Amino acid sequence: MKYLPLIWSGIWRKPGRTALILLQVAVAFALFGVLQGLKSGMDRSVAESRADFLFVGPADFGGAPLPMSYLDRLKSLPGMKEVSFADGFLGTYQKPTQPVFALAIPPGHIWVDAIPTLFQITPKDLDALEKTRDGALITADTGKKYGWHIGDRIPFTSNTLKTDGSGTWSFQIVGYLTDHEPGESGLIVINYSYLDEARAQNKGTVRNFYAIISDPKRAAEMSESIDRLFANSSNETKTASFRENAQQQMRSIGDLDFLIRAIISAVLVALLFSITTMMMQTIRERTPELAVLKTLGFSDRTVFLMVVGEGLLVCIAAAFIGLGLAMGVFPYAGKFIPGLSMPSIVIAFGLVGAVIVALVSAAVPAARAARLPVVDALAGR
Amino acid sequence: MNLARQFWALLRMNLSGIPARLGLVITIVIGVTCAVGVLVSMLALGVGARRENMSNASPNRAILTSIDAPSPQQSSISKDIAPMITGLPGIRRNAQGKPIVVFQMFIFIQARSKVDGRQSGFPVIGMSPGLRDYQPELRITAGRMYNPGLHELIASLKCTRLFEDFNVGAKRHLRGGDWVVVGNFDLPSTVCIVFGDADTLLSAIGRNTYNQANLMLESPAAFADVQKALKADPTLHLKVQHEAEIFEQNLQQLNGILSFVSYFIGTIMAIAATIGAANSLYAIVDSRRRELATLRAVGFNSTPIVASIVLESIFLAIPGALIGALVAWLLFNGLLASPLGASFHMAVTPGLALLGLGWALVIGAIAGLLPAVRAARVPVTVALRAT
Repeated sequence: MKYLPLIWSGIWRKPGRTALILLQVAVAFALFGVLQGLKSGMDRSVAESRADFLFVGPADFGGAPLPMSYLDRLKSLPGMKEVSFADGFLGTYQKPTQPVFALAIPPGHIWVDAIPTLFQITPKDLDALEKTRDGALITADTGKKYGWHIGDRIPFTSNTLKTDGSGTWSFQIVGYLTDHEPGESGLIVINYSYLDEARAQNKGTVRNFYAIISDPKRAAEMSESIDRLFANSSNETKTASFRENAQQQMRSIGDLDFLIRAIISAVLVALLFSITTMMMQTIRERTPELAVLKTLGFSDRTVFLMVVGEGLLVCIAAAFIGLGLAMGVFPYAGKFIPGLSMPSIVIAFGLVGAVIVALVSAAVPAARAARLPVVDALAGR
Repeated sequence: MNLARQFWALLRMNLSGIPARLGLVITIVIGVTCAVGVLVSMLALGVGARRENMSNASPNRAILTSIDAPSPQQSSISKDIAPMITGLPGIRRNAQGKPIVVFQMFIFIQARSKVDGRQSGFPVIGMSPGLRDYQPELRITAGRMYNPGLHELIASLKCTRLFEDFNVGAKRHLRGGDWVVVGNFDLPSTVCIVFGDADTLLSAIGRNTYNQANLMLESPAAFADVQKALKADPTLHLKVQHEAEIFEQNLQQLNGILSFVSYFIGTIMAIAATIGAANSLYAIVDSRRRELATLRAVGFNSTPIVASIVLESIFLAIPGALIGALVAWLLFNGLLASPLGASFHMAVTPGLALLGLGWALVIGAIAGLLPAVRAARVPVTVALRAT
């Protein structure tokens, strides 16, 4: 501890140089933080997605929709807690470049308390929707974009035709919902009963079922038994839990781990070289000063430790700054990549990394400083 | 002595001093190598995907979809309007004199990936008769073409590489029972493509609308004729796009993510490399303080001093860029990458190497500027007195 002032003055001997090293290491650790945060954010979003929440869709996506009669058969399966369903159609508002997706849901409290992972609806808004047959809930974003307000009647054009042969649908806005994935296409929520009654084709069918099971651990087993239930019928199903779907999505991002590791190694190599040469340069310039220290009785070991201490202090401080920077950009980067987060394990990893970088890069310069022959050094040879 | 001659003399001096300062110089080179290497490697993903995907786009092919569909997957074209589409102007005719129009539909099925053994989805594309006329470059590499009316499929070589059960003779379970893979074919694309007969597939899944109509145009100029005809008949509710446009649209998401990530990481690495290089140059300038002061004392101007140091820094960045691009090429060129469900060969092109070189020049110039100004501004008397 008593050497701290010496280490401190050693670090700030050339403030410009130290500041640049600090900055370089900080930038490198900021990159590390963002990359690791990305990865752990993805892991977390998988872990947080619900395993007890099954998505039951047609076995071949794009194939015929599922018959409504499946609802009761699903409900009667042992281990099933709640079942609901959704359907929907694509339309455009005023221009072909303004797509709107209308999601049709049946009434039920399930949308308020069991399925808030998709979107959030308050009981009041849900109530308003149930009361108005051709009502619609909109997101605040879409409302702002198109200037819609509660009470407005909004017309859509769609390929989904109504019984009268027209593709023009109109809904009355009765409330709001909160969408978890703000997309470019506007989402609105409408009544399934109204959609099914008004459409010309596919009456009595749904796009998919949502099944909530009582034991999340049995998700894979339940998915299989659901698909078996409808196997070899004219409408086979494909069931997967939300967690499984999330995992699959993450996997499709593929060689991410490899990529992150490759980038971090490149950063580390550059960093090690940079710090080592800068410290070598520093030691070379400080040869007379170090010689004086040794003349005053500082042992080789102490000099070695002091130089390593300088490296450690700079690297750890820089790592903190860098990881802090990374955390600072997360709210911004979260717009592009949802779920960014930095758990303490990443910070710990970063600090361990900083210590290793400091030890490896300071070792050679420190050894050189320790081995300095006093007489030669004082003589300036 | 004029400025240009001073500049050349200084530059020669700077460069001849490199061997004496090898450590600092190598630091600059390695920093730039890493930054350029990472940038070029990551961009090679996007370039590879685009090259493989776009190589097959022809200006003679056009795609019709519903006017309000954001992508062909959401488009639907009813069988009733098919004759009106075949009757559009500007469509090339085949040997039998029939217009080359192929209607296309998709359904998505699951297949087990060879990479991780997991199920993942991909489209089966149903084509109405005329696939051979529409895509003459399609080359059957094994087996034969499917027969309309039968439960037969053909799969691209990419499918056999990415997924299980796509070799000739393999059976795929789809609606309406087992479908047999009767052939494999080669067609440039980043994703697995499976073709079957459109009407057979539609009747198997109980649907009666196509997703899109593919037209072979008489010439690229005929595109405007089709566009005009569609505008004249709004009841068709169709829009026409170049094939390249659709391909581009399909690539958009993948490319958007890839280039955002590449430039984001590339920029951060470039900043780190710039700081590292600036630090090394500061050290170089520091160790030459007396030398530079002497030069100024004997009449060298500060402008050539600044220019010579900036140029030295740029010179040092160039080998970094070349090594970086070379390493990226050695490690990744032609490597099969499969991010985000696509699969393609990465491509480290001369264009990318040039881009890397450009970044390196900027890194060198920025890194050299501050140390150079400092070198030129140290008061001569102070510098000469320095030990």
